[in-house]
Amino acid sequence: MKTFAELGFPGRLIAVEGLDGSGKSTQIYLLKRWLEQQQLKVYFSEWNSSEIVKAATSKGKKRELLTPTTFSLIHATDFADRYERHLVPLLRAGYLVLCDRYIFTAFARDVVRGCPPEWVRGIYNFAAHPDLTFFFKADLEVSLQRILDGRPQLKYFEAGMDLRLSTDPYESFRIFQGRMLEQYLAMSTEFNFIVLDANQLIEAQQATVRELVSQRVDLGRFRQADRPAPKALRKPAKKVRELEKEIVE
Amino acid sequence: MKRVSKNQILVPLRSKRRFYGHGIPRVDLEQLAGKLIVVEGADGSGRSTQIAMLVEWLEAGGHATVQVGLKRSTLVSEELDRAQEGNILSRTTLSLFYATDFADQLENIILPALKAGFIVLADRYIYTLMARDMVRGMDEAWLKNVYGIALEPDAVFYLNVPPEELVQRNFAKNMTLDYWESGMDIGLSRDMFDSFMQYQRAVEKTFRHLQTTYGFTILDGMRSPDAIHMELRKKASAVLAGK
Repeated sequence: MKTFAELGFPGRLIAVEGLDGSGKSTQIYLLKRWLEQQQLKVYFSEWNSSEIVKAATSKGKKRELLTPTTFSLIHATDFADRYERHLVPLLRAGYLVLCDRYIFTAFARDVVRGCPPEWVRGIYNFAAHPDLTFFFKADLEVSLQRILDGRPQLKYFEAGMDLRLSTDPYESFRIFQGRMLEQYLAMSTEFNFIVLDANQLIEAQQATVRELVSQRVDLGRFRQADRPAPKALRKPAKKVRELEKEIVE
Repeated sequence: MKRVSKNQILVPLRSKRRFYGHGIPRVDLEQLAGKLIVVEGADGSGRSTQIAMLVEWLEAGGHATVQVGLKRSTLVSEELDRAQEGNILSRTTLSLFYATDFADQLENIILPALKAGFIVLADRYIYTLMARDMVRGMDEAWLKNVYGIALEPDAVFYLNVPPEELVQRNFAKNMTLDYWESGMDIGLSRDMFDSFMQYQRAVEKTFRHLQTTYGFTILDGMRSPDAIHMELRKKASAVLAGK
């Protein structure tokens, strides 16, 4: 499959991938803020966030109804909904689309769960590849620590408990994340991942991300046209003007 | 076929089983002692009537039955219904949503029931799902990969009824045509009647194409319910005999 640029889309898609706790969400958030502050057309989409599908997924997870096959298919449904209704139209309209996780998450996760790799890849073959994919590579222990320090209550599927790797959720999570990392690393070259050292400080990583994005993407093309700001943004501006008036008076 | 008791209950013989593709991880096909019989056809083709008659006959013969159908999974049926009401699903999403529904029933109902030796009657199977998607322009190879999870049934019967008759039967029953069964989402025609006719013709054509791959039995659905039932009995007996 080709990238959106290769397919002639005016928009560009940037994805971040990595283990839970690798800091990828923080990095893409900071990238988004930076792009927005330059008045660029930006859209952000998160894995497993389709309004239509999410209810079913959370029910399946809560009641532990999911098997490797249905886990895979329901996430693919979620992705398809976001892809067809949001990502593609926005990319056609020349947006910079930022994705917290993309199809590679499924390639890694579903295969660790025991689904055949060709089957999973076949399902997602309707999706074009990102123009840039950042892979945040942290030491396994570092990402484990970040998650385990923050919220010690691990969820069933998050910990990979369905794989019966261990009866201890923490041990299960460790083994599961270790296998995910192996899958990611094995894909890295094939899908042109830009591998970043996620053990570095947040600022150092963000500097590299911004540097690479401005090198590889002609950001000037993504400026928003000069048009009145949405109402929500106009109001405070009015207040400022009133204040200025008061000061002058 | 082995007759084991005075009241002549037939104990089904095993048949060779396979998945269409990769199948479901960690399933031992050897353990699936029951039978899977699929009845396909459009709304109004007489599927439910025929399945009800088959259940009567099978139970009288000492066979335990389980019924499955589309959009009946615990996992996604409600959500799928709600999403379809709003008519906001695009085609890949709709397709994968149905695939999830199918997989959930396959793993949680069909396979366990077959393992327990039940006769599973499926009111439609992957063929309807594939045909609907293909009419909507989805890639056949992509669909075959997705539905490579499916178990090959012991028999598939397709009740063939021409669209002209389907319309009459749908009106006689509901006085209305279903939005999706009329393919209104594709925009074939703004006239619902026209759209229904065109859509059903396209689905029928796709079924005939799929028949060449999957080899199901096409039955003339224009005959009386009893006549169709007698033919199904004969064919189902052969299935039970492991043929």
